[in-house]
Amino acid sequence: MIDLIIFLSLVALGFGAGTFVEKRHYRRIRTREAATIHLPITTTKQVDCLPETVQSVELVQGSAVISVDYFKRLLASLRNLFGGNVKSYESLIDRARREALLRMKEKAPQAHMIVNVRIETATVGRKANKKGVGCLEALAYGTAVTLKESA
Amino acid sequence: MKYTPRLPERNDNVSPASPIKELAVLAGGLLAAIVGIYLLLGIAVDIIVPRLSPAVEQRLAGPFLRTVSHFDDAAEGTRARVQRLLDRLQTDCAELPFPLQVHVKAGQTINALAFPGGHIVIFQGLLDEVASENELAFVLAHEMGHYIHRDHLRGIGRALVFITVSTLTLGPDSPVANVLGSALNLTEMRFSRAQETRADTFGLDALHCLYGHVGGSTDFFQKIPADQDPGRFGHYFASHPENRRRIDHLEEMTRARGYVSAPPIPFSSSE
Repeated sequence: MIDLIIFLSLVALGFGAGTFVEKRHYRRIRTREAATIHLPITTTKQVDCLPETVQSVELVQGSAVISVDYFKRLLASLRNLFGGNVKSYESLIDRARREALLRMKEKAPQAHMIVNVRIETATVGRKANKKGVGCLEALAYGTAVTLKESA
Repeated sequence: MKYTPRLPERNDNVSPASPIKELAVLAGGLLAAIVGIYLLLGIAVDIIVPRLSPAVEQRLAGPFLRTVSHFDDAAEGTRARVQRLLDRLQTDCAELPFPLQVHVKAGQTINALAFPGGHIVIFQGLLDEVASENELAFVLAHEMGHYIHRDHLRGIGRALVFITVSTLTLGPDSPVANVLGSALNLTEMRFSRAQETRADTFGLDALHCLYGHVGGSTDFFQKIPADQDPGRFGHYFASHPENRRRIDHLEEMTRARGYVSAPPIPFSSSE
């Protein structure tokens, strides 16, 4: 009985805190995306501009680690039984990716574009152990290109 | 190449479904599956029990034999006397598909148990309470009634399905069957009221067949003292009202069948 109470408390905590944190994070993501929208980012490797117009190029990267909450893990483990889209993890990955891209952009506020952008993900923590806390890392990196003022 | 700054209108990477609804659907589905399997196993027990051949039932005893062998800790002389009485019942009055074997366990519990494969376990406490041979014969015949009606297999419950399947596929001594067998606590096996009544009916008929009268049949039920914990009395004395009901049933049957009563033959567990 006491186990059930602990379990239900954890689920309620996971749902309450998880939803609150996620909503707040999404609000911040949207604000910052709007604020950094002037800086284009692209996956292309080559840009059509003359070498003499380029002032500098540099590697920029941003990474974010987002943890699973208890409620989302419960949903995912139930989903593991039946199969199908693990919807509860979709928002975690989305947040991690967008946060990583934002941090990358914020590293190069002076740049004119970031090219050759790549996103990689990794799981952090005791991922193999089912009882361990699963975290997701998204790492975004690219080449920030700054052009000369005269160009 | 012109860059047009624009934020996406909607997020295609995150499903808009409500997580609470998803939890309800998934947990509900899981619960439905568990309930379904539980019900199916219950039906499977009813299907399996009448179809188990005596030979298969003997093999089912495998997982329980180790438990039963722990029970033979009372004096061999006592065991042999009870076995002789059981043999007389078996030969003359009750045809069973396989021979029954008696095991006597030391202990104050007043109970007898029917294990699969024809192993009857009787506690010393029961033998101490018994005053006449007829009383003991009724107890033994009652247990034989459980064997005839296969209540001892039903009493194992849903685990019987797993034990049967593992015995038939992996053999009687497989580790799977042994784990299942030792996990079950057959000393707490409960029979339904209908099962006990049928076993009582059978016991009374067998008693009449052996002695020509039914003296001593209800003696055992009268033994429960008012101040004693009825839990000690196992499935013979589940509760006082139940006990009274069974005595009434036996007396009514005795009248209906025209059985007579006569003084029973005395019996003492210590010779």
